[in-house]
Amino acid sequence: MNLVIDIVISGLISGSVYALLAIGFSLIFGVARIVNIAHTAFYMVASYCIYVVTQKMGLNPLWGMVAAIVLVTMLGMISYKIFINPIREHEGAVLIATIALAIIIQEIMSNIFTGTYLSVPALIEGYFTILGVKVFFQQLLTFCAALFIMAALWVLLRRTKLGLAIRSTAQDREVANLMGINEARVAMITMGLSVGLAGLTGAVVVPLTILEPNMWLSPLIMMMAVVVLGGLGSLKGSFLGAYILGFAEALVVFLAPMGAYLKGSVALSIMILVLLIRPEGLFGVYFEEER
Amino acid sequence: MGLILFYVKKLIIIFKNEVLVLPSRVVVVFFFLFLLLLPVVTKDDYILRIFTLASIFALLAASWDLLSGFTGQMNFGHALFFGVGAYGAALINLHANIPPWGSIPLGALCAVLAGLIIGIPCLRLKGTYLALTTLAFPIILIGLVFAFPGLSGGELGISGIARLSQSRVADYYIVVVLLLGLCTIMWKITDSNTGIIFHAIREDEVAVRAAGINTTRYKLLAFCLSGFFAGISGGLYAHFMRIAGPSTLEVSLSFQVVIYAVFGGIVTIYGPIGAVFILFPMLEFLRFWQDYRTLMFACVVLLILLYMPDGLFRWLRDKIEKECPRCKIRNISTRDTCRVCTAPLD
Amino acid sequence: MNKLNKRIFLLAMVSLFALSFCTLVFAQEIKIGVIGPMKFVQGIGHWNGAVMAAEQINDKGGIQVGAAKMKIKLVQADSNEFLNVTDATNAMERLITNDKVDLIVGGFRTEAVLAMQDIAMEKKKIFIGCGAAHPELCLRVAKNYNTYKYFFRGTPFNSTYLVKSTFFHLGAVAAVMKKQLKIPKIKVAIVAEKAVWADPLIPAANETLPKMGMEVAGVWRPSPVATDVTAELSAIQRSGAHIIFTFFSSSVGIPFARQAGELKIPAIQIGINVEAQKEGFWQATQGKGDYVMSSNTYSRGVVYNELTMPFVNGYIAKFGEVPTYTADTYAAIVYGLAPSITQAGTLDADKLVSILEERVYDVPSGTVKYMKDAEGKHLHDLTFGPGNITGISTQWQNGKLVGVWPNKWKMTPESPEVTHKGIVPIMLPPWMTKMYKK
Repeated sequence: MNLVIDIVISGLISGSVYALLAIGFSLIFGVARIVNIAHTAFYMVASYCIYVVTQKMGLNPLWGMVAAIVLVTMLGMISYKIFINPIREHEGAVLIATIALAIIIQEIMSNIFTGTYLSVPALIEGYFTILGVKVFFQQLLTFCAALFIMAALWVLLRRTKLGLAIRSTAQDREVANLMGINEARVAMITMGLSVGLAGLTGAVVVPLTILEPNMWLSPLIMMMAVVVLGGLGSLKGSFLGAYILGFAEALVVFLAPMGAYLKGSVALSIMILVLLIRPEGLFGVYFEEER
Repeated sequence: MGLILFYVKKLIIIFKNEVLVLPSRVVVVFFFLFLLLLPVVTKDDYILRIFTLASIFALLAASWDLLSGFTGQMNFGHALFFGVGAYGAALINLHANIPPWGSIPLGALCAVLAGLIIGIPCLRLKGTYLALTTLAFPIILIGLVFAFPGLSGGELGISGIARLSQSRVADYYIVVVLLLGLCTIMWKITDSNTGIIFHAIREDEVAVRAAGINTTRYKLLAFCLSGFFAGISGGLYAHFMRIAGPSTLEVSLSFQVVIYAVFGGIVTIYGPIGAVFILFPMLEFLRFWQDYRTLMFACVVLLILLYMPDGLFRWLRDKIEKECPRCKIRNISTRDTCRVCTAPLD
Repeated sequence: MNKLNKRIFLLAMVSLFALSFCTLVFAQEIKIGVIGPMKFVQGIGHWNGAVMAAEQINDKGGIQVGAAKMKIKLVQADSNEFLNVTDATNAMERLITNDKVDLIVGGFRTEAVLAMQDIAMEKKKIFIGCGAAHPELCLRVAKNYNTYKYFFRGTPFNSTYLVKSTFFHLGAVAAVMKKQLKIPKIKVAIVAEKAVWADPLIPAANETLPKMGMEVAGVWRPSPVATDVTAELSAIQRSGAHIIFTFFSSSVGIPFARQAGELKIPAIQIGINVEAQKEGFWQATQGKGDYVMSSNTYSRGVVYNELTMPFVNGYIAKFGEVPTYTADTYAAIVYGLAPSITQAGTLDADKLVSILEERVYDVPSGTVKYMKDAEGKHLHDLTFGPGNITGISTQWQNGKLVGVWPNKWKMTPESPEVTHKGIVPIMLPPWMTKMYKK
């Protein structure tokens, strides 16, 4: 019985981490058809920013979070404007540009902070016990943040004019343009939103993990698996896919402690199996190829 | 005697009229000559090593282009073929004691098998889904490598593999000749009927299906061919470095291959090859600036992509050659009229 | 001779003289290549240790080689081995062919060192490995002496001894626990990162622990780069383990210690935790890494012999932190290579090899004696044991890294008892004492 509770709680928590990352990634893909490989690299910048604010300047982690989100959003929008917007038509080039951007960010972080492992204090220290399982407050915060973001995005997309613009651009870029929506500006705002979400994820998740210049690679892979499983462009799908893969990982770790390192492989295999049955992911909208 | 002279004269005429006419073909000839004559100019082991490794990666990048460029099946897990080829050749060499000229083709056949295994689930996937799914396969394989450390050596990999040949120069020639030969074969494939079908599949798969062509078969063929060539480069790598480890399956290697190919220009075989020969020595050359090496590399790639999003070599080729509007033959851009049909070139 | 001939002759003489002068000037230096992951702590350790060694030797005028004194010139090479093994081999090759070094020290990641070793052996350059512990590196020496004889292991002793020494540490902790908490049967949870070097320990532990009177509570194998181990920790707590026997060489050591400390798991962590050897561990675990024990080589205040304090204090004065084991490039150069070169009177690699493999000499961490295998073939591997090299076990106590083992330790009942100066007693986590001392 204890094992089941452990698995449920562990799954919820890792699912929330993936959900936070995947929602941002899915947003920018849905609207601008950009596979932003540098998404987790921005998450890394946010984490280092919090490190600098808390460790070097000694301020409260909350200030670190605010600074991180603002900095990362600005950085994201600037890089979009300079590097990605000019080549938006060439999908292959955009992909490589985001990879190159991620590598540049990695190298800059590596040069400033070296490869030493660093860490960041939690926003709320301590843990509590629920149903016999110890859970950190920071992990609870992550879970609540995921739910909150999902709710906030839902409100944004369904109830505001901006949300309407975003949704219509996602459905059909050209027609949205014809309808008078400034498609380029919507893409820019969505990029800012997406990168801001990456920053927020960094702020919330990073006390649970270690900082080093290569920390962007492993979340990237899990995040892409989640997004593909849920269906590209579908926020609901990313949310659900995150929890499915989170539970899969928890199952592996608890039921096969000798094989805990296989949790990544198992999650990816599940993704492939689902794709075999439904090639567009669970909730993916299958666009007819935009000719 | 007279016969030989006749053929020599014929060769010279062909050379003058077919090769010297286009600057891009002249460049290719120079490239071939450069690669083949390099050991005559320098015996420095370090430089030969750089070019040998560049040739191995060039073969890998060209094989990626065959799959993802021509057929449009974006493959983000090309390291899988490389790794399977390397591990296959290593295991066969170590356990069955087959020398390199046997273990490398057999390793490549393992990579072909891997190509089939991943090609079949990927048949129904398109675009980004395909890219991200192919990304997953090398990672799953790394998990398996760690799960069976007795067979695969875990994170240490397999070491003690036989050398390619006895000397560095011989190693270099084996790799370069294989590169030039296999790339010529790839080039010929893309020029043939199969190549046309690959182009067509990339442009509009539904239309190709409507024309009655079995795209499944051709897509699987592309996966297998690409896997074969990549597997050969993997086997060469294993025998050259004498160690085959999980670093051959890393995500960063897959990303590097894609960078090389897109930088040089996809849907060409020469693009990725040229890109590797520019970027790889550049990365090594920048060693004097150790701290900023990778940063410079990424910056160069990003800047080139901003101004030449179709790829460096495509852009260069478009600058030095023009296509005739009537007969579609390429001409040197300084000409006023087409060399074949004399239509005016604007 | 006519005027032209005379001029030519003069020119020739001058150039010959100049040339010989140049070679003489150039030949005054011994070039030592230091290769390692320079952006990471391990490579920084390699470089710092070598710099300290070179400065010390050059201050005295250099190494005596025959009639001349030659100064050391260090050449740094960033192998980038954590990220790219191809890069590492390129760096090694460049060091040998371009920079033309005479000797090489360094190396860390075994997969890369195996490949780098091949290159150095091919070119017949002496390579002293300062970081990779895999036995294969030295087994190659025995298997193929003529090719691999130029390789010597500088540090650490190989992984089989590493594992053996952790069992001694475990015994010491178990004794303390029995005395302070009166636990009848101690349960041990084995947590080993999923890596080949850690594989042999599971069967070894399963076999040895019952013989030591302890029970194996379970085996967990997280990924070496895992960042969240709360799942494993919950399971470990539920198993009722008193000791967590850790084998971490990679980053997982940090979140494990931090989360175990935050969750106040009532067990003490001991074993190998490479991250816990570094002084940056305290910040990395946000101060929650107290009471974590790990095998180590150097610690402030622990003295092996009269060479230890000058080295450790000198290193702290110069670089601001206690040296990690990769800084033993210092020992490799100052006590290993330099005297051997002086003894040989030449830089000839073959002569140096025959001298190096026979010499027994003191280094700041003990006494180096190279061992032979069961058939008497040279392994060029470090001998382990009291009187040679044993390493220490350190524990984080109240934010300070202190040495806690060997403390009145005997390897076998007949061996001499070993206690180093500066060793303090082991402390158990207070939350554990509170829970068990009911």
